[in-house]
Amino acid sequence: MSENAVVFKGTKEGLYILIKEDMDLDKIKHNLNDKIKPSKRFFEGAKIVNFKGKKLTKDEFEELKELVENDYGMSVLGDYTEDPDMLSDKEESKEYTQYEKLPYDNVVQDKVLMLRATVRSGQLIEFMGNIVIVGDVNPGAQIKATGSIVVMGTMRGVAHAGSNGDYGTYVAALNLLPAQIRIGDIISRSPDGLGVRASVPEMAVVKKGMIFVEPYLPNR
Amino acid sequence: MGEVIVITSGKGGVGKTTTTANIGAGLSLEGKSIVVVDADIGLRNLDVVMGLENRIVYDLVDVVEGVCRLRQALIKDKRYNNLYLLPAAQTKDKNAVSPQQMQELTVELAKEFDYVIVDCPAGIEQGFKNAIAGASKAIVVTTPEVSAVRDADRIIGLLEANGLKNPQLIINRLRVDMVKRGDMMNIDDMIDILAIELIGVVPDDEHIVVSTNRGEPAVSNNESIAGQAYRNIVKRILGEDVPFMDLETDQGFITKLAKMFGFVKKR
Repeated sequence: MSENAVVFKGTKEGLYILIKEDMDLDKIKHNLNDKIKPSKRFFEGAKIVNFKGKKLTKDEFEELKELVENDYGMSVLGDYTEDPDMLSDKEESKEYTQYEKLPYDNVVQDKVLMLRATVRSGQLIEFMGNIVIVGDVNPGAQIKATGSIVVMGTMRGVAHAGSNGDYGTYVAALNLLPAQIRIGDIISRSPDGLGVRASVPEMAVVKKGMIFVEPYLPNR
Repeated sequence: MGEVIVITSGKGGVGKTTTTANIGAGLSLEGKSIVVVDADIGLRNLDVVMGLENRIVYDLVDVVEGVCRLRQALIKDKRYNNLYLLPAAQTKDKNAVSPQQMQELTVELAKEFDYVIVDCPAGIEQGFKNAIAGASKAIVVTTPEVSAVRDADRIIGLLEANGLKNPQLIINRLRVDMVKRGDMMNIDDMIDILAIELIGVVPDDEHIVVSTNRGEPAVSNNESIAGQAYRNIVKRILGEDVPFMDLETDQGFITKLAKMFGFVKKR
């Protein structure tokens, strides 16, 4: 079972030794021995970038480094580090990097439900987070999110943003013709009659305790 | 204590919802206090026909489940005084309420309103059972089609089995010219089969389509012949003796029929 306590992993930067988190030092040593012994020749002179996976103490690191360098003739290039990144062995899942500080503070990084469909009458889409609908929302349908709602199409149903009481959320749509908009506990309904509205992208926000609908691309 | 009337038909698309909206509005014009209840959970339409869809916050299911108080779910009509709507839920289905709960609800409503008019869904399943649960009177709507009459017959049987004796009949969307040519069932034939009291004949009228789409009941439209028919039905519900309209028929079969049923004084 301890077979995979240690894994050699090649990356762009070089070779890493991945150590399983719940292994004690003796097991790791034993495992290293088992792995390297049969093909000692192959490993001789190999350059190890660093250890990864298990969080090592300074002493453990030195001990392993000595073992690898003296017994197996490899060299460890990296130094001891407490960098939490070293805990992660998923090079593939690159974290979101902010190359430049964004000029706005209204950048939201909550959970988002993406839905590519027409939401039809009687359907209720409810989500803890933001909702993005790529499609239309028909009359009689209801979209309920604790965050904001964005409809990449025509919004004709009932939209309820900030259902946990967050007035900072908004409802945006390419064509905003909802029966009702609710933000937090504020409710506003569409005007009566078949009024013709300019079909510019609009968003509904809370201002002074009321829901305002306005174009968010004023120059369109 | 008000009266609970269920509007039903069995078959879909014969005009239950339109009839409900128009009778509700008509009774309101007569100075009564009305609540119309949409029992068609999951396929609600009454709110749309009445133009109140954008006002719905709570619905019938919310009331039954105790999410809100009954008063909070009632929507006041924008034109008629003393006309209220209790909308159905759209995101639920018929099993969301039980006949027992509907009965309690209608009893509660009947305490405050002169008339409680329940718009029944098509079919004979749970939704139908819910809708008729609290009713003390039933109005069956049919159109002059064999299939609609067949379903109406079935419904009348079920109503009687559930203790709703003597339902009344509305014949909807009658086309006098077609009847004249013998291309459409005539009223006598329908009465013959269904053998219940006729309370109104509503002619086919383009105004209905327009008013339905606009969300304005036709009953207040004086130009609409169907509106006139609904006004007469309302008066008959209130117990007035109103002669049946002469739908431009030289034969006067409706009058003849009305005479038969005692709505018109014999000349």
